Amino acid sequence: MKPNLEVRIGALRMKNPVTVASGTFGYGQEYARYFDIAALGAVTIKSITLKPRAGNAPPRLVETPAGILNAIGLQNVGLDAYLAEKAPFLRKHGATIIANIYGSQPDEYCELARRLEEAHAADAIEANLSCPNVHDAATARGPALVAQIPERVAEYSRALRAATKLPLLVKLTPNVADIREPALAAQEAGADGVSLINTLMGMAIDPETRRPRLANVIGGLSGPAIRPVALKMVWDASRVLQIPVIGMGGICTAPDAIQFLLAGANAVAVGSMSFRQPDAALQIVRGLADYLEHHQIPDVNDLVGAIAT
Amino acid sequence: MLQTADGYAPFLRRPMSFERVLPEAVAFLYKVEGEGTRLLAAMRPGQTISVHGPLGKGFSIDSTISRHILVAGGIGVAPLPALADAVTRACRRPPDVVIGARTKRFLLCGDVFRSMGCEVYLATDDGSVGEKGVASHVLERLAPNPDTQIYACGPMPMMRATAQIAARSGAACQVSLEAQMACGDGACLGCVVESIFENEGEKMVRVCTDGPVFDAQHIDWNAHNFAYDR
Repeated sequence: MKPNLEVRIGALRMKNPVTVASGTFGYGQEYARYFDIAALGAVTIKSITLKPRAGNAPPRLVETPAGILNAIGLQNVGLDAYLAEKAPFLRKHGATIIANIYGSQPDEYCELARRLEEAHAADAIEANLSCPNVHDAATARGPALVAQIPERVAEYSRALRAATKLPLLVKLTPNVADIREPALAAQEAGADGVSLINTLMGMAIDPETRRPRLANVIGGLSGPAIRPVALKMVWDASRVLQIPVIGMGGICTAPDAIQFLLAGANAVAVGSMSFRQPDAALQIVRGLADYLEHHQIPDVNDLVGAIAT
Repeated sequence: MLQTADGYAPFLRRPMSFERVLPEAVAFLYKVEGEGTRLLAAMRPGQTISVHGPLGKGFSIDSTISRHILVAGGIGVAPLPALADAVTRACRRPPDVVIGARTKRFLLCGDVFRSMGCEVYLATDDGSVGEKGVASHVLERLAPNPDTQIYACGPMPMMRATAQIAARSGAACQVSLEAQMACGDGACLGCVVESIFENEGEKMVRVCTDGPVFDAQHIDWNAHNFAYDR
């Protein structure tokens, strides 16, 4: 029996439920050295902005227990270079592309989506409304990320919905009191799916120098440490949504991925684990297939939301 | 990138330079600083360790240059024995080596370099061995000139001083930097340092992939915040 691994996120077909978390996989070139990136359900690229960004001053990274704090600051090559160099590479290698995009206004997101669609440089759009590492988040009082405010999630999602026919995912931040609110706002605005979670805000201090370990002071926490938080949020969101969920946050192995499917995710993304093991995402695809065979489950979609409560 | 634990304590691999590359073995030299290096130090012969690599751009050796000087600060000496081997082979002559450290206890590899036939100059902050002073002062006295290649690895202030000496004297200078790393493959952009190049696309360079060895004059030594360096 060969189990079905294909999943759908709106009109996006993924050959299996495994993608990679934006920002952890570059534009696929670095990891293509180690395995066939077309074997993943999709490659979710590092966020692109209209213009190239240099990102934050270093230090940008510090390890914390079973995790990583990052404050990269959206360093990226910019849309033009993505279209000229990165997208052709991904297409040549047969990857399914989820293009994560970031802007400071709705119209920037719309322009990104339009130009990506026109150039066939993406199979789906993932709107990054939730990066904690830009200036406002470090100094703001109260919610500062678009994804923390349901009305703004709705505003940005509606704008993007009108701007593109591509499958539209909205990436949510866990730095909220109730993940269901921004999730429902995205759904109501016409998103085809939501991805969660982005990183949790955190910090670390060097007790000898007394300085923060990140130049940005605060950063985003990822890795196994956040998995229980991510899983619970996937559980909360998927129970109120009709649209599919891509779940992520500390997924390291196939059993981890299966937890997220059982909690209600239709697909999963592997992030920090790729740093430790470059072919982690591929190993998880294989592990999922083995699990389905072993348990005689004909279709991976049978696992979605199948938690026994 | 070395994996130091089977589980997630710690989670990330540890970047290490090769201290020696020999026909049947490679060697790493490291200082025990935290959990990862503590675990490495507790390993026993016969155990296996997962190593992801080799990664990054190493030193390049131009054998048409007459004089080659290696400059080490503290544990920064780690990649230099392998480099001394390579320079000796390429130039048919061993390089000169300057090693600086805080005190005698931290002054490493002198014997290794001497056994290769290198002229070795030592300096310690407290004068416990060699001359009392820092590696860059010793380097300055060696009077580098445009027909000199300097290779440096050590604390950022030392490498900055070395870069300045090179700039003043016209000597070529390569530096091997380190940074907190996650992927080591150039994807995560966590390990960057600022270069002198102004435009957004080139300014931040990745120590893991664009380096760890850089032309010293390409690094913006003023941008780097030395408070973050040990």
